[in-house]
Amino acid sequence: MSFLRAARTSLRTPILARTYAEQASASSALKLSLVLPHDTVYQSQDVLQVNISAVAGDMGILANHVPTIESLKPGVLEVIEANASESKKWFVSGGFANVHPNNTLTINAVEAYPLDAFSPEAIRSGLAEAQRVAAGSGDEATKAEAAVEVEVLEALQAAIRP
Amino acid sequence: MSAMLARPALRVASHGIKARSFSTTPAPQATLKELETRIRSVGNIGKITKSMKMVAASRLARAQKAMTQAKAYGVANSSVFEQSEASKSEAKVEKILYITIASDRGLCGGIHSSVAKATKRDIDGGEGQGKSVQVVVLGEKPKQQLTRGSVINDLALSFNQIGRAVPTFADALAIADKIEELGLDYDKVKIVYNKFVSVISYEAAFFEIYPLKALQASPSFAAYEVEGDELAADLGSFALANAIYAGLVEGHAAEISARRNAMENASKNASEMIDKLTMQFNRMRQAAITNELVDIITGASAL
Repeated sequence: MSFLRAARTSLRTPILARTYAEQASASSALKLSLVLPHDTVYQSQDVLQVNISAVAGDMGILANHVPTIESLKPGVLEVIEANASESKKWFVSGGFANVHPNNTLTINAVEAYPLDAFSPEAIRSGLAEAQRVAAGSGDEATKAEAAVEVEVLEALQAAIRP
Repeated sequence: MSAMLARPALRVASHGIKARSFSTTPAPQATLKELETRIRSVGNIGKITKSMKMVAASRLARAQKAMTQAKAYGVANSSVFEQSEASKSEAKVEKILYITIASDRGLCGGIHSSVAKATKRDIDGGEGQGKSVQVVVLGEKPKQQLTRGSVINDLALSFNQIGRAVPTFADALAIADKIEELGLDYDKVKIVYNKFVSVISYEAAFFEIYPLKALQASPSFAAYEVEGDELAADLGSFALANAIYAGLVEGHAAEISARRNAMENASKNASEMIDKLTMQFNRMRQAAITNELVDIITGASAL
């Protein structure tokens, strides 16, 4: 079997290059592209694992994951790089995470900031305000917006609690 | 100063002469005055275009930075469509929605006509030929250009106040929201924008966004695990907003660099014009002096 394959490939490329490429694809890491409208956090970088908070549930994405399209809910996104000792965490407001058949993960997030960028007091006051508006007597659109704000802030509060 | 007071009287007389005999050379003083005003006004124009060029150059750096981020964002956004080969989707494309992105402000070279022409070309002879087409326009200038042509009789929607500052994602979301509110039925969206090729050139380009139906009928889409139709529909809306954002930001950067180049050319032309006019002015001034001298001398020699 391998003889035949070698004979075929020798017409196109040196055999050595062929097997080298096969080896590379087998041991390749997950390529992550985490992009925001105003910033590119990761651009096709090799990572070990990415934990996302999807609407369908929290999940961890490893290399060669089944291709899937997930909608992200407000929550924590964790990236574990190959050589890093600690994982990196961001709070994501929402977006989409797509695992592609070629072992790449692209995450389009609307907003994402590291957890230490938030101030607990601001979250508390913002949450109180949003809850007040959501339970208040405004029109449907305002109340719906406030409900979304409550969801995001509650998730944020849970995320930064040590 | 006294010379200036003397001139108006002479000018009145010479105007009379001019009116009566068509072929006499005009009195030098009258044309000198006009030339002087002309030189001054061209100088002012040159100052304005130079300052506009400076402003554009200073805004370009920021716009380009935003553009690189937005481009990466747009590329990640279209990866789903590329991977699932939506362009080869088996769903028939009968209705296309075009979104033309430029801005409100002029003095930027051929930015607006570039996207307007590209849209018209695609509708007339390209993919839109023979299909049911709807157009949404972002910006006053392309709107004027598109409605002037006979192909597009009425636009589905138009936006203004575009292009004043670097576009934010919130802008793109608001625009995408309004477009969705229209409830248009389409098989494909083509976003026409100006792609930033280099600091001195741009070209009209397309983003293609596919709604739920087209995506589901795409050849490689089946590889993806997707929970429910709603998710794919949400993805379509999100992808549309992302693509509009990427088009807005890149178009903005292209426009600023085009404006910088246009104003640079205008300033160069203005300074060339001033040189030419000044040359003319000086020659005329010298001719006037020579004439006066001749008058004096012949008058003196007649005595």
